[in-house]
Amino acid sequence: MEKIPLHPIERKVLSSLAGGPQVFEVLVTSSGLQADQVRRSISWLLTKDLVTTSEVSTAQVTLKAQPAELTLVEKLREGGGEASVALMRNVMGQDREFSAAMGRAVSAGWVEVKEGITGQKLVLKSNEAGKALKDLLSQLSVPADESVVPQDQKGIVADLVKRGLVQRKETKSITVAITRLGRGALESAEQVGFEMLTPEIIASVRTTGVDAKLRPIDVAAGAPAFYPGRRHPVKELIDEVREVYLSMGFSEIVGDVVQSAFWNFDALFTPQDHPARELQDTFYVKGEADLELSRSGIVTRVAAAHENGWQTGSKGWRYLWNVEEARRLVLRTHNTPVTLQAAKDAEGADARVFSVARVYRNENLDYKHLAELHQMEGIVIGEGMNLRHLMGILTGFYGKLGMSGVKLWPSYFPYTEPSMQVMVYYDKVGKWIEMGGSGIFRPEVTLPLGVKKPVLAWGCGLERLLMLRLGIEDIRELYNNDLEWLRERKEIAGTRDSV
Amino acid sequence: MTGLSKARIMDRLPYLGLDIEGEGAESVRIEYNPNRPDFSSDYGIARALRGLVGRETGVKKYRVAKGKTKVFADRSLAKVRPFIACVIARRIKLDEETIRQLISMQEDLHNGLGRKRRKVAIGLHDLKAIVPPIHYTGKYAEFAFTPLGSAEPMTIRDILDKTDTGKAYGHILAGKIASKTVYPILQDSVGTVLSFPPIINGDRTKVGTKTRSLFVDVTSTDERLGNEVLAIISCALADAKGKLETVTVNYSKSQVRTPQLAPSKMKYDHELATAMTGLRLSKKDAKACLKRSRLDIDGKSFAVIPAYRVDILHPVDLAEEVAIGYGLDRIEPSYPPSSELGRFDQGVAFLESLSTTMTEEGFNETMNYDLTDEPTLYGKFERDPGSKIEVDNPRSMEHYLLRDSLLPSLLAVLGRNVKSQYPQKLFEAGKVFLRGESGVEERFRLAVVAAYSESSYTEAKMHLQALVKKHFGELADTAPSTHWAFAEGRCAEVVLKGKGLGHLGEVRPKALANFGIDMPAWAFEIEVPSVKKKSA
Repeated sequence: MEKIPLHPIERKVLSSLAGGPQVFEVLVTSSGLQADQVRRSISWLLTKDLVTTSEVSTAQVTLKAQPAELTLVEKLREGGGEASVALMRNVMGQDREFSAAMGRAVSAGWVEVKEGITGQKLVLKSNEAGKALKDLLSQLSVPADESVVPQDQKGIVADLVKRGLVQRKETKSITVAITRLGRGALESAEQVGFEMLTPEIIASVRTTGVDAKLRPIDVAAGAPAFYPGRRHPVKELIDEVREVYLSMGFSEIVGDVVQSAFWNFDALFTPQDHPARELQDTFYVKGEADLELSRSGIVTRVAAAHENGWQTGSKGWRYLWNVEEARRLVLRTHNTPVTLQAAKDAEGADARVFSVARVYRNENLDYKHLAELHQMEGIVIGEGMNLRHLMGILTGFYGKLGMSGVKLWPSYFPYTEPSMQVMVYYDKVGKWIEMGGSGIFRPEVTLPLGVKKPVLAWGCGLERLLMLRLGIEDIRELYNNDLEWLRERKEIAGTRDSV
Repeated sequence: MTGLSKARIMDRLPYLGLDIEGEGAESVRIEYNPNRPDFSSDYGIARALRGLVGRETGVKKYRVAKGKTKVFADRSLAKVRPFIACVIARRIKLDEETIRQLISMQEDLHNGLGRKRRKVAIGLHDLKAIVPPIHYTGKYAEFAFTPLGSAEPMTIRDILDKTDTGKAYGHILAGKIASKTVYPILQDSVGTVLSFPPIINGDRTKVGTKTRSLFVDVTSTDERLGNEVLAIISCALADAKGKLETVTVNYSKSQVRTPQLAPSKMKYDHELATAMTGLRLSKKDAKACLKRSRLDIDGKSFAVIPAYRVDILHPVDLAEEVAIGYGLDRIEPSYPPSSELGRFDQGVAFLESLSTTMTEEGFNETMNYDLTDEPTLYGKFERDPGSKIEVDNPRSMEHYLLRDSLLPSLLAVLGRNVKSQYPQKLFEAGKVFLRGESGVEERFRLAVVAAYSESSYTEAKMHLQALVKKHFGELADTAPSTHWAFAEGRCAEVVLKGKGLGHLGEVRPKALANFGIDMPAWAFEIEVPSVKKKSA
């Protein structure tokens, strides 16, 4: 026979019914379940033909008052079994009731009417007269099921009900019975084992030493999805980049997002009319300025570097430098102001520092542009550092990020000379990809800050690399925070070399 | 132009700093860097390419004949656009392609060195239509002439108000003179208007394939820059086989002959060049490299720099030219080992450890933009935007306010993901921007939010305490409080070691509704002490 799976609750209901059909309310008590659970379980069992239900009407009958004819018979028995009608009428009281009672007692065959010397007299026909009814009615002094009334007395009780001496209350109830199929299912369920292990079962195993059997289940069946907590993919890649930098002896630095235009541009020898400084490319903070910035110390030297080269040996940009322009506050457009300040703070010592952080551009968002993205920038300060060293570091850095080739082309940035564009070969996509810029800080940048050693610098966007890793075409997907994607996407670590 | 095969050209272009943007059967589309405006024409690129492959090296000599053409520059333009420099190129053969080249060069120079014509504007004219001498003079707005592309004469005012270029560039001339504005006009001796710089040329002197001699005017606000731009154009015209001829510009008190194509000199620092490049080159080798970059070294150790190379500011620029002339692809990388051990920033490391804990507790990290909009940050919480920090002139109307809390973005994420399986448990570790006494203050924060049917304040506190206990070593106090993100009576301030750390609570129902979230949610946001060393 095919096995019919049983839910633990269904099993409880079936085993309660094993002893015979039960009324619903009784079943609730005997199964130890809640009424709702039983109700639901029965509907399931019905669909599987494991139980049947039937609706049964039952009635309770209760005695309200003793019929007068019975009282008449009792009085007559007390009086020796014989008395005149007149006397009895007197004993029983009400005249109308008496006539009816006498008529009923006669037709029931309990008494007969005879002619005596003083008129009509009542004679008890047998000493047992009325006793059977009396016994029945005494059972009905408390509410009793109608079924206690014997067949031959049903008519009498029905009559008493009609006369209002016996109250009859009818109720309907559901009776549940186990079917043959149900018994089979229950037996096979009991044979295959427990549905679920409980502390009680374990305790009994401990005392008996007999192992408990568990019901075999469909182990190939589906299970609901579970989602563990995960980092954001951008953070995963940032962490990888941080580890790469650390392994190359670099220390991490963190800087402010809001920078003066001075640090974001001027100190980086970007002339004040440079297109990158325009409102349409750069976010300026509304109504804010770095008013403490004034023409003294570093600011004077940077201003002079712009105007005439200061003492750097440069011609400078040869225009009139404006402190107001330098005071404006910008959301950093790159992390170079942060690494540059670290170069200044190194105060002559050799250093390797990096920063992986957000930069901001005034862009309309589309599939290849974001207004905020991450750049990973590094610098090396050290006596004797040169272009070949920069090339060596770039080859090492991008190699550790999984790029199999690095090509360097001449490029241009206002703050580095020489400047190089970094091209990397990424096996996964099988082509050369532009991966940011690099160079050696210009003397017009370093000398005004008191930095006398060469400073190698480079940087590149992080999202571009991440898109390649994840095979994403639309950069906005990275920051949609679509929960399905965050929960189910590939782990970044596993995307490095795979095709 | 170069006599080189296409494959060889394609191979070498990047090593001149030129990006290949696209490729046709007989053409390549390339992008050049702004420091090399001489690459604004094929002539300039071919010149450099011939040098790099060794076909023609050193400084190219350009012959300029002394011409008799005169330009008189009027003093009335002293405060408007005082300078003009000109050149004549005779017997030039202008086919469609050459004209396209010249116009594209003109556009590039306008936008780059010319700073969108503000500093420099260029006019190309058919010399045949001009009767010298030429006057560079100031005119009022009522002055009329027929501008390029128009059938009828127009007044200056109409040109500024009605034509595309007038509307695009008119602002350059606006407000230069307080009382009665004068506009620069270049006109010949019989009244033919050559141009109205920096707006538009006259129609009469228009250049076409029948033009045999060119007259070029370069007006500017900066004489040096004007001369540099003219030098770049002149060299390209000479490379296009034009015979160059000078023009004399007469100012009220001085006189100059243009173009000025004499090379400039800068001391060549060989020690610097070898130290920067890391190349062990003799001075003779270095000279050969510079010659491939179309520069040279004279007998007195001075670098000879052609007039079109406007980017050489410092001896380091010469060092780069040595490297480029040598060929960047021939330079061997050398990894400098470090004796230093790297360190992570302690603040970032702490933030990282908090984030790890949250993922261990089953939360998903999200990353949201620092810039958001007013409805997200203020409107949906019905809070006062009085202390908002705004950026100027944003292109995107969804990204213009710096967030002062991470919670709004997290709720926005919940609002966008209502169709995803619940519970939804999210966090973000990031920066917020607050208005402080010394301007904008930046703080690192951690914010956590969880939406599911049984979410409650107690659940919030459970997670907060687990985090705080693990990372701060003790449990936090939660004092009854109010906060714009949380329901009244279900919000507390997180106090640790007597200091306020942030807030936690059940998210205000109205805020949930405003973000379109149907599920109750709890949240907390706490400050993460940064261990950052403040830069002096």
